[in-house]
Amino acid sequence: MPSKKNTAAQAAPVPVEENTPAPANGKEQQEKSKANEPLLHLIVFKLGAEYYGIKIEQVKEVTVTPSITRMPRTPDFVKGVANIRGDIIAIMDLEERFGIKPVPASSENGITYTLVIEAKEYSIGVVVKEVPQSLNLSVSKMDKAPSFLQDIAVQENYIEGLAKVDNRLIIVLDMYKILSGDEIKQLSS
Amino acid sequence: MKRILIVDDSFYMRTMLKNMLSDAGYEVVGEAPNGQTALELAKELKPDLITLDVILPDNTGLDVLKGIKAEQPDMKVVIVSAVGQEVIVNEAMEYGALSYIVKPFSEEKVLEVVSQVLKEE
Amino acid sequence: MKSREQEYKEIFIAEALEYFDALNRHISDLEKRPQEDKLLAEIFRLLHNLKANAKAIGYLRISDVSHKLETAFSLIRNKELQFSDEIVTVLFEGVDLLGELIHNIDNENYGEPDPVLLRNLDIIVDNLSDSTIELAKVQRYNPTKNLSLSELVYIQIKKLDHLLNLVGELVIDRDRILSISRELGNDELKSVSSHLNRITEELQYSIMDARLVSIGSLFNKFPRIVRDIAIAEKKEVDLALSGHDIQIDRNILQIITDSLLHLVRNAITHGIEKPEQREKKGKSRTGKLSLVARNDRENVQIQLSDDGNGIDLVQVRKAIVERNFLSTAAVEHLPPTEVLSYLFEPGFSLAKEVTEFSGRGVGLDVVKNAVDAIGGRIWVESEKGLGTTFILQLPTSIAVKGALLFEVDSIFYAIPLIHTEQVVAMEVSELHEVGGVLVADVFGETITVVYLHELLNVKEREMNLGDKSRLKGLVQNIIIVSYNNRKLGLIVDKLYRQQDIVVKPLSKPLDAIDLYGGVTLLGSGNVCLVLDVPAVTRYFISRRQLVAAE
Repeated sequence: MPSKKNTAAQAAPVPVEENTPAPANGKEQQEKSKANEPLLHLIVFKLGAEYYGIKIEQVKEVTVTPSITRMPRTPDFVKGVANIRGDIIAIMDLEERFGIKPVPASSENGITYTLVIEAKEYSIGVVVKEVPQSLNLSVSKMDKAPSFLQDIAVQENYIEGLAKVDNRLIIVLDMYKILSGDEIKQLSS
Repeated sequence: MKRILIVDDSFYMRTMLKNMLSDAGYEVVGEAPNGQTALELAKELKPDLITLDVILPDNTGLDVLKGIKAEQPDMKVVIVSAVGQEVIVNEAMEYGALSYIVKPFSEEKVLEVVSQVLKEE
Repeated sequence: MKSREQEYKEIFIAEALEYFDALNRHISDLEKRPQEDKLLAEIFRLLHNLKANAKAIGYLRISDVSHKLETAFSLIRNKELQFSDEIVTVLFEGVDLLGELIHNIDNENYGEPDPVLLRNLDIIVDNLSDSTIELAKVQRYNPTKNLSLSELVYIQIKKLDHLLNLVGELVIDRDRILSISRELGNDELKSVSSHLNRITEELQYSIMDARLVSIGSLFNKFPRIVRDIAIAEKKEVDLALSGHDIQIDRNILQIITDSLLHLVRNAITHGIEKPEQREKKGKSRTGKLSLVARNDRENVQIQLSDDGNGIDLVQVRKAIVERNFLSTAAVEHLPPTEVLSYLFEPGFSLAKEVTEFSGRGVGLDVVKNAVDAIGGRIWVESEKGLGTTFILQLPTSIAVKGALLFEVDSIFYAIPLIHTEQVVAMEVSELHEVGGVLVADVFGETITVVYLHELLNVKEREMNLGDKSRLKGLVQNIIIVSYNNRKLGLIVDKLYRQQDIVVKPLSKPLDAIDLYGGVTLLGSGNVCLVLDVPAVTRYFISRRQLVAAE
């Protein structure tokens, strides 16, 4: 019998196993945490040299990036549209979006992955170069974003917090806020 | 444009009335096939006029008339009935119906009654 | 094909059959529970409606028999008549007769109903207190009764919308399967997929067909409207309608209803002159307004003409300059059709003076938006003093569109055929650089041409729409599109076939990009972008104006 927690994990809408090769270390990194503390389940990926995370509730699926059709005269961070199981969704490049200098891809075969994000208003795909990993950590490991980060601009409050795991800093994004009204406007002009 | 609610349990009758009224430039805002729906729509749509059939599957038209008048005393209601229901029609007029149309009706008759009732302010 | 009479008749029959079924059910129940008031009330109601409906539509036999049965049941209800075996038999037979009459409404060879049965019904109705009435035995006339259900169902348009969306998805998958099957060359798969192809096509057209209504359902509203507006404006107007039977998708008709009303109102208010003025001009006192629908290729064309003032091109030209749309020099050489097209520009139509002088204007941009939204076209023709005609070209169906497929810079695109005028191939030497853009002489007409690659893919800063040297190859394929009376040639890299496509609207956030009307999936599985011709034209004009301003 699987434990309750395992069942919940299986029910999570992320068929990571189905579409992505197993991560290099072979299993999920499980934080040793106090038994009763609520866990934060993140999908972690790299943009430029930094690690970013998205809460698993915001990720519908992870898939090998399908062929993308460019859409001329859209902002640079829109890579185009792709057909994912019959749905045509916009594919975004977050490195472009955040102005992050891309690091040369480490994957030899040129395969990239797409996280399908389902927000209230829209579905988008986010391209990442390396296999995204699944990570559980206790909620206390995440700090709210430092105030100066929040102050920069209202638009920047898509950073939900910073998590520290094994000396690694993970920037946790709130994908529901990543496409601000301004950017949607930018899309239409 | 004046807004009208049609209450009749026959789809055929509703269609005829609707066509006649909307051809004449009225807006038919709702159609009710029974008393319950009629009461709900009357409340929700607040039409300028209701045409009310006297025989309905759930309530009698008279009950519906009383129900409408209890909530909206100024609502204009025209009774639609067939020959042989003069008793009910008379009673309905006592409860505040403004006029009546007898089935089978002609377009002229319907428009005459409706425009007359809507004119009286 | 479906006149209003036909529609009434279908509704009557469908409802009558429903009543007939319910009557049969209820009188069977009544036999078991003869005292149940609710059943009696319901039977009475059904017969009552049937009587009234039949009388209204003119099926007097049905209304007569219903009336007799209604009377009999109201006697039973008032306890003036016993629901006895003898009577039950006659009433059952009476209801059967009703069913037979309803089923035979269209049967000219149907004779008279059994007089014995009719007399028995009369006896029941008339001799209420006489318990010794003789009810004659009725010959069982139709021992093999057919069970039949209503021929007509009513369905919410929402459900039809859903079906149409589903079939759209199905068509996309079918195309994919067809393409895979061609690649694999498996005979069995080929035969199955060709069958699938046929069935899907039929399904698609059946659903599209189910959504069609006749344009008459909208046209019939106009006589009264025209009369009212004419009276209010103190004008005399004769309205001629034709093409009632032309069929069109119900939602498309719904969307253009307001537009058409607006155009009609404009025509009477600003177009047609007052009777005295008309007489002075040597016209008949009564103005003529005509609303005509006809099929045009795969589309429906609605034409609204009046014989009023017409539009004064001189005034419109003046307004174009005053509104800063074009320079005086540019306006002078503008052909009349293009001058008129400015009436549909948003900023333009607000100009009050234009309305007064030209007799047209207010709200035309709104009308145009509605027509654009369903992928239709609208244009206007006018002769000063003689009258004005608005022409609306509308697709018959929303979801499936004929489109031309092509490729630019390895991206697949489609343009709905409703916007394409023609396709020509031209050598680069036939294109000329004029005022920062390319022009070509196409069958005697000078048409502005744009290299789509340049317009869509080159950085805006580096864009040069008048540079021939940027074209690849000698011969250029040019698709001539038309929007708002203005023609524009689009140079494409590769031209493919013409094909019916199912346009999927772009989902959020991409729906904000108006350059694309949607996407479609090709049989190959590739995503194909559907270009929105109005938006492409607007984008081109904005670029050209930018260049001109520098």
